[in-house]
Amino acid sequence: MYTAFKDHLANQLKEIEEAGLFKNERVIISPQGAEIELDTGRKVLNFCSNNYLGLSNNPDLIEAAKRALDDHGYGMSSVRFICGTTDLHKKLEKKIAGFFNTEDTILYAACFDANGGVFEPLLTSEDAIISDALNHASIIDGVRLCKAQRYRYENADMEDLETQLQLAQEQKFRLIVTDGVFSMDGNVAPLKKIVELANLYNAMVMVDESHSAGVVGETGRGVTELYDIMGQVEIITGTLGKAFGGAIGGFTTGRKEIIEFLRQRSRPYLFSNSIPPLVAAAGIKLVDMMTKTNTLQDKLHRNSEYFISRMTSLGFDIKPTKSAICAVMLYDARLSQEFAAKLLDEGIYVIGFYYPVVPKGQARIRVQLSAAHETEHLDKAIGAFGKIGKELGILKK
Amino acid sequence: MSYSNKVKDFYRHQLSEIQNAGIYKEERFIHSSQAADIEVEFPSGASVRKVINMCSNNYLGLSSHPEVLKAAHEGLEKRGYGMSSVRFICGTQDIHRELENRVTEFLGTEDTILFPSCMDANAGVFEAILTSEDIMISDRLVHASIIDGMRLCSAQHDTFKHSNMEHLEEKLQLHADKRIKLVITDGVFSMDGDLAKLDEMVQLCEKYDAMILVDDSHSSGFIGRTGRGTHEYFNAIGKIDIITTTFGKALGGASGGCVSGRKEIVQMCRQRARPYLFSNTISPVIIAGVLKVFDILSSSTERRDKLEINAAWWRKGLTEAGFIIKEGNSPIIPVMLFNAKLSQDFSKDLYNEGIYAIGFFFPVVPNGQARIRTQISAGHETHHLEKALNAFIKVGKKYEILGLTKEQITAKYGM
Repeated sequence: MYTAFKDHLANQLKEIEEAGLFKNERVIISPQGAEIELDTGRKVLNFCSNNYLGLSNNPDLIEAAKRALDDHGYGMSSVRFICGTTDLHKKLEKKIAGFFNTEDTILYAACFDANGGVFEPLLTSEDAIISDALNHASIIDGVRLCKAQRYRYENADMEDLETQLQLAQEQKFRLIVTDGVFSMDGNVAPLKKIVELANLYNAMVMVDESHSAGVVGETGRGVTELYDIMGQVEIITGTLGKAFGGAIGGFTTGRKEIIEFLRQRSRPYLFSNSIPPLVAAAGIKLVDMMTKTNTLQDKLHRNSEYFISRMTSLGFDIKPTKSAICAVMLYDARLSQEFAAKLLDEGIYVIGFYYPVVPKGQARIRVQLSAAHETEHLDKAIGAFGKIGKELGILKK
Repeated sequence: MSYSNKVKDFYRHQLSEIQNAGIYKEERFIHSSQAADIEVEFPSGASVRKVINMCSNNYLGLSSHPEVLKAAHEGLEKRGYGMSSVRFICGTQDIHRELENRVTEFLGTEDTILFPSCMDANAGVFEAILTSEDIMISDRLVHASIIDGMRLCSAQHDTFKHSNMEHLEEKLQLHADKRIKLVITDGVFSMDGDLAKLDEMVQLCEKYDAMILVDDSHSSGFIGRTGRGTHEYFNAIGKIDIITTTFGKALGGASGGCVSGRKEIVQMCRQRARPYLFSNTISPVIIAGVLKVFDILSSSTERRDKLEINAAWWRKGLTEAGFIIKEGNSPIIPVMLFNAKLSQDFSKDLYNEGIYAIGFFFPVVPNGQARIRTQISAGHETHHLEKALNAFIKVGKKYEILGLTKEQITAKYGM
């Protein structure tokens, strides 16, 4: 029957292409870093990775990974509870709990899976999930797999959250869910206020720190550190795939009973492979490094402030941000693509985002800063943005 | 919270119920590489002891193969540790493409897309290609990840009795009016070790104009004459529209999975599959290891041949000793004990004899179908298998179940 289906899919693919929404992948032939090499032979500056701390190619992490290859092999070929748990996995779980000042941690193949598997075991149709409208796709999928009643509040809108909490009072348990940093805008969730409302309306709080762990807060412990409420949210999810080395792996960290329960019931944990020992070992090394020194976080904070202030004074329209994400607003989808292409010609690698990834009429270039960037990298990017901004008539000449 | 005592007590109570039912999952900590011989700390805090692993998915013994380790070392040096990106932003390296091509070539398909795991491949594939006008008809014993993928898809859903071709045919007739019909099965069923009847399924799909998806996670690398999977075993290479599989079992065991099959389907996944668009790319070091695995598999069938010999020896040994095992053609060989508690006690006694194998019971397998699932590896040598068999016989004698029928065992221990 494939013939008929083939035509059907081919048509859909054509529609995606005609709408200018076809995702083409650029091929990189170097390790991840501030400077990367494309298969075209070009060397470009990368301003669109989640390599916030510049650790994706860090020699100490690589060394730790190599040592684990020698001690613990390459793969575990098992889920955790059969024969896929090593001493390294347990150690990393403890380290992460220590880092976030939580009670216990459970590892997943990715934060996508952590978010996919957290709701269903914990909540039933008697309970309520109250979710920010701009939460990540993986949270949305996790919520879709859970039977709890769903409430949604406008992005970071505390009045709306309060309204939804009032509506959810008849449910048994309530869980407020938010991203720590919203990935497309870079704004930080008003977590202090969320926790206050949670206390007032007897709800639990879950925050996804994927774009904030390592980035936000003086020592990179995320949004709970920024608002001085460490230990006060019930559930934190996060990833080892962005600031924390960027390989793979995610986690849920929080209250002891919740983590213990997830270990018994969370489907992506029970039915998917254990992360390889080398990733666990590099994760342990990473937490040690972050506990010892603040150099990278400090540099990232300096880089972000520098870039955003220069771009603002050039006249770009930047979304208010408190993270390493800087959304340069262009509004028009086609313009965002043209701008990104011209930046690549100037040696700056960024991506233009448009509907449906961001709302219609909200197209933008999302710049992500990294501790791997040196001032000369930042200046080159700012210069290129300025040049093309003028060329395309966005900035005053 | 408002993490009130009410909430805490609620979860505590549920946890103690799990414990009281004897189905609490306790993890054993491994201090060595994955292999036939492993060093285990169990229970937590106990001194580490050497045991023979009889329950991993390390079917080909490649999880700590020196060449794979070497390739991973080189991968770290040449392509770094992590990519810190999804594929379509800045997470695609040349080696990701290379691996996709290698998988396509190995499986005899048209194109391949990588996912962080086969769980994610299965979670993402259905929603990307089907809508409410379509129907998914799945075997009742397919893996949890397929079930979750179907739950996330708006297409209609129906099931057929496990490997029952008459029932499948009825369902295909019943749903003849649907736009797209997709039949879904595991290649090898993970709890029983039996193979899907792919030859008959392909014929039925042709007759009723349906497509077919096979999850070959427990077959890729070793089922079929050259280890291509169940489609090779049944002479159906090129006839399966979608194959999903994992690199987390026989193919090195680290992580990663894929959807491989018709070109347009793979392309559609690249545009629409949520775990592909919204989760990290596989790290270069893992890709480097898997590429080496395919080098090893393409150069010789030695490992899958040894696995086949090992599995046949093990089946014969258990049968002759008087155990009841599930018939099958795979290295998954369940030793049936029927009673849940007996399966746990048996597993503990085996551990004391230096054999690591886990007992499975409801809800992982049907009620009254508790078992020890043994999984054979090309990493096992004759002495491993002999020692394991002796231990099984010793513990079998202790519980006086050798030579007994199912009825006799359940009469003795209950269902």
